[in-house]
This record gives sequence, structure tokens and C-alpha cells, in this order.
Amino acid sequence: MAKMVMMLVDDEERFLSTTSKLLNKKGYEPLTATSGQEALDKLAKEYVDVVILDVKMPGMDGVTALKEIKSRYPLVEVIMLTGHGTIDNAVEGMKTGAYDYLTKPCDLEELITKAEEAYERKRMMEEKIRMAQVRKAMASPREVVKETDGGK
Amino acid sequence: MEHQAKQPYKALKNKILATMIVVPGIPFLLVMAIGYYQFTSALQSDAHARMTRIATDHRRVIQMFLDERKSDLAFVADAVSFDQLTRKEKLTEVFNDLRKTSPAFVDLGVFDANGTHVAYQGPYQLLGKSYGDAPWFQMVMKKGYYVSDVFLGYRKVPHFIVAVKASQNGGEWVLRATIDTLFFTDMVEKVRVGKTGEAYIINDQGIFQTERRSGGDLMQKDQENLHELTPKGQVESFVRKGASGEAYIYATAWLNDHKWILVVRQEVGDAMSSLRTASYLGLVIILVGGAGILAMAFYLTGSIIRRMESADQEKSELGQQLIMASRLAEIGEMSAGFAHEINNPLQIIRAEQTLIETILEEMRERQELPENEDMEQVLDSMRQIKLQVDRCGGITQGILKFARQKETQSEAVDLARFVPEVLEMVAKKAEVNGIVLQKEISGPLPPVSADPGQLQQVILNLVNNAFDAASERYGASGGAVKVKVASENGKAVIAVSDNGQGVSKENLEKIFSPFFTTKPVGKGTGLGLSICFGIIDKMGGDIAVESQEGAGATFIIRLPIES
Repeated sequence: MAKMVMMLVDDEERFLSTTSKLLNKKGYEPLTATSGQEALDKLAKEYVDVVILDVKMPGMDGVTALKEIKSRYPLVEVIMLTGHGTIDNAVEGMKTGAYDYLTKPCDLEELITKAEEAYERKRMMEEKIRMAQVRKAMASPREVVKETDGGK
Repeated sequence: MEHQAKQPYKALKNKILATMIVVPGIPFLLVMAIGYYQFTSALQSDAHARMTRIATDHRRVIQMFLDERKSDLAFVADAVSFDQLTRKEKLTEVFNDLRKTSPAFVDLGVFDANGTHVAYQGPYQLLGKSYGDAPWFQMVMKKGYYVSDVFLGYRKVPHFIVAVKASQNGGEWVLRATIDTLFFTDMVEKVRVGKTGEAYIINDQGIFQTERRSGGDLMQKDQENLHELTPKGQVESFVRKGASGEAYIYATAWLNDHKWILVVRQEVGDAMSSLRTASYLGLVIILVGGAGILAMAFYLTGSIIRRMESADQEKSELGQQLIMASRLAEIGEMSAGFAHEINNPLQIIRAEQTLIETILEEMRERQELPENEDMEQVLDSMRQIKLQVDRCGGITQGILKFARQKETQSEAVDLARFVPEVLEMVAKKAEVNGIVLQKEISGPLPPVSADPGQLQQVILNLVNNAFDAASERYGASGGAVKVKVASENGKAVIAVSDNGQGVSKENLEKIFSPFFTTKPVGKGTGLGLSICFGIIDKMGGDIAVESQEGAGATFIIRLPIES
């Protein structure tokens, strides 16, 4: 089973670096971004499964970033990271497509657990899509070949 | 507070009261005064007119009487000759005829030109006396007739006479009759006006010609000098003080060729007696009307002030609630921002601590850590850091909970079990501070609907405050705190009482306001009771405080019973 790729998005760099180190120790290799814009830029270049997204950031805020991510990469799961006071935003985020939310200060274990759950869902979705494509291929293999060619 | 609030009402009350009394009072008194004045002057002119009329009529009657007596004598003098009259039988016959026309004739006498009394019919012995030098005789000889003043004469009895001169065959003689003064006085006095009305005659020297009922003998001098005051001609009326000091309305009229004055007079008080009745009536009206105005003014003012007071009180209560609500909202916003900002560094501390812990764990696995006391200390410190960060997280979440109290999770709470559990948590603290903590739970207690965590927070807050109040007053021993739970009027009541110093009246008003505290700087944020208020309010209950300064305080929470 492939390792999940996480991206941490927060304006606190020390939080990013320390959490990255911890995740490294748990065997993950997370990407980091200090703003919503940087996250979108990195998503364009790199493969990411789950985004841990701080709600309150300078520049593009978490909810706007989430909408962008979901519209460009619908399969990427997003977990909102919020101070309790911005739970309203987290709720709004979930309505827009976030998988879940975490309140600060959060435990690393909690973070990993939720990220894994999100990753699981993403894999199931991808599995469903793959199954659907397989079914389609069996019905009309040429279409699949055409589509695959077109997609490349 | 109560006292200060009353002051502006008092000023306002006085103002309204004054207006309500003065506005109807002035026209009322004005009407009464004008009415009194008009009535008095009408009455006065009426009295004067009446006196004048009486005097005029009476003068005519008296003058007519005198004229008639004079005519009687003139007729006799014309019809009967001197010689005939000097005969006793004829004189008697004539006298009897005269008595028939007027019983006022007392006697009748005939005098020759020298004034010698030549014939007499009457009760006295006057024959032969000579009157040639008497003033009346000379006046008769000069003017042809004469009516004398009252005088004593030879007979030493007051009387007056009427005399006429007759001429016959070139010789002159005089016929004289005496008029009964009693009869005359009776006629003059016959005027009756009120109780004190009277009529009398004085001559041009002020000597009484008839008796005066209220004192004044015949031929005495009247001290009032009316003869000097009375103008010749018209009948005059005027008000003047009599000799006795009483004020009288006088009407005077000259008669008998301006030798006599008819006086009609009445005491002013008597003439105006209807005024007194009217005055009493007016006084009663003023008193009753005034009392009515006063009563109405007090009643209306009272009810206006009461309404204003209750309206103001409602307004101020509403204002208090609004201020409280807006303060709570403000503190909510502020503390939410604060908590959120604190959460970021807490998150980093948490991450750092986890990292250190992980690294230490790895080092231990690699056997790189020394197994000594210092290392144990480091590991213990690490656990403490984690614990304290968790605690901070709890605090900030608590603040956020207060700020965003949407998250209340109400459930049925059995206070009979719940409250003792909460008190168990502070039992140790009570013991340490030497405070007797009592609980009194009187059932039956139906469950209430509340968020247990928040309710616990409220009870702990109130109990801790009570501890502080009791300790502050009694120090290490003597403090007492009592928590009572009961149900009352369909509500569950939790009352926390202490025996501390109590709360002053001014502070009672502000006690639930955010940031209000009486504790020393750094000992309290002034948020506790404000948060309690917010929580209980959200639960649909209410919280109140009762306190007597110097006799402790009681905080009372009322919660709705779960339906």
C-alpha cells in the first residue's frame, strides 16, 4: 500500500517544520505551504492525498483556499485546522467539501488518525472510479484507449 | 441607589403638584374674590338706597303731619273768631274737634297780640301767663306760624308747640297747640329696618327732638354732629362711626324749614347681615373647593409619578439587560480573538513537546539515555509540559465556549446527585480554609435541563466566591457556606449563601457586569459572575443575588424543570 502524501498549510513556519519532523518520524513525508496560494501552486506540481489546512491565515484564508482546491482537485481530501473560535468557518468548510476539522492545540495522534481516515475515503473514491472505468472498458475498450490517450 | 433615584422624582413631583394646585387655584380664588367684591358692593349700594328711600318717605310723613297740624290751627283761626275762642265752651268744642282730627293735640291756647294767655283748654294751669318775650311768640308774630323745638317751658314737661297767627279786624292774635311728644316720638320711631334700624329727629344744634331707641334722651345733645354734616336739600346716605364706636349707615334729611333733621340709621353689620351669611357660604365653598383641588392634585400627581417611576424602572431594567447583553457579547468577541491567538503558540508548544518526547523515546530505544534521577526529572517535566499545555487548551476552549455558547448540550440533570458531586470537589478547599460547608437538599427534585459541564462551572464559581467572602471576613476559622437545593414554583433553586461581609447596594447593581470585581488586582478578572449569568441565561434560568451589607450574601439560581 502506497504511503499517504500530506500537505500541511499554516502560516506558522515553526509549526510546519516541527510537525513535519514528527510525521517523518512516523514514516510520512509531508509537503508544507505557508499560505493558501503556495498550497495551490504546490498542488499543481506535486501529488497530494490529504491537505491539512489552517482556517485562519493572512492573505487567502482557509475557506477560500479550500474552495479552490476542491474545484481544481475534487479528489484531494482536506481537513480544516481551526481555533475553537472559528468553528463556524470549519463548519462552512465541511459544507464546501472538507472531510473533517481539528481544533488547536491538536494531538499528533489525532491528526494522523483523521488524515488516515480521509486518505481511506480518498482511496475508496478512487477505487470506485477505477471500477467504473474498468466496467466502461469492458463495455467498450476503444473508448478507454481513446480517453486515456486524450488524457495524456 | 434607591435614594438617589428618588430625588429627581421629588423635584418633579413638587413641580407637577404646584402646577396642579396653582392652575385651577388661581381662577378659583379669582372668581371667589370677584364674586365677593361684587356682592359686597351690590349689597352696600342696596343698603344705602334702602336707607335713603326710608328717610325720604319718612320725612314726607313727618312733614305732612306737621303741616296738617299747622293747617288744622290755621283753619280754626280762620273759621272761629278770637272772641268766640276766648269763651270756654267754644274753645272746648274746638279742641275736641281738633282731637278728632289728631290725637296728638295735648292742649290749645289763645293769646292776644301782647302774648298774654287769654284762653286755654288743656291739663295745665297756664292762663294769664305772659309770653310776650318768649322767642316762639316773637317768631309767630314775625312769620305767621311756628313749630318749636322740644322744650320744657312752664310746665317742666318736654313738649313742642305749633302756633299760627290770625288777624281779625286789624287786630292780631295767636292760636297755639301743644303736640304730645310721646305720640310724635312713636310716629317718628315707627321705622323698623333689620334689628338695629332706627329713626329719630335732632334739631339744627344736634339736640334730640325725639328719643333714640339705642340711647339718646330727649333734649340731650347728640354727640355725632350730624347737623354739621347734613347738606341742605337732598337726602344723603353715608357710613359713619357712631358715638358708641359702631359703624352705621346713616340717611339724613332736613325737615321743618331746616330746623330739624330726620336721621335714619342702621348698624353696618346688621345692614350687611346677608353678607355674613354669604361670606360663610363662600368660605365653605373655598374650603371644600380648595380641599377638592388639593386632593385631586395629590391624587393625580401621585399616579403620574407612580407611572413614571414604573416606566423608568422598566426602562432601566431593560437598559441593564441590554448593557449586560452587549457587554457579554463584547467580552465574547474579545476573548474569542484572544483564545484563538493563544491557540497558535499552544499548538507549536504541543508539537515541540511531542517532538522532544518522540526523540527521547527513540534515544531510550537506542540505549543512549542514562538511567538516572536527572533523566527521570526531565521526563517528568516533559509530562508536566504536556499537562499544562492541555490545561491551557482547556482554558482557551472554556473562554471560547463562553464566547460561542452555541455548543451547550443540555441533558436531564438530577440536582440531588449532581450538586453533592460538585461540592465534593471543593470539600478539601473548604477544610483547608477552615470553612464549614453545609448542604441542604430538600426533595422531591425533578430533573432540570442543563449542560452539566457549564452548570458545574457556575456552581464552582459561586462556591469559590462564597469561600473567598467568608475567608476574607473570618480568616482561618469561622467561615460558613451553605448550599441549598430545593424546588419552588415549578423551578429548581440552587442557593449559595455565605456569612461574609455581604455586598453593598451599589455593587449589587453591577455584580454581574463583566470586569466588575471587588477582589484585589490580579486576584480576579471580574468575569466569573458575568460568565455564570450568561450560562444560566442560556439555560433559560435566572440568577440573582440577595445581600444585606454585613450579613453575608446569597446567590440564587433558578432553573426550569425538564418537561
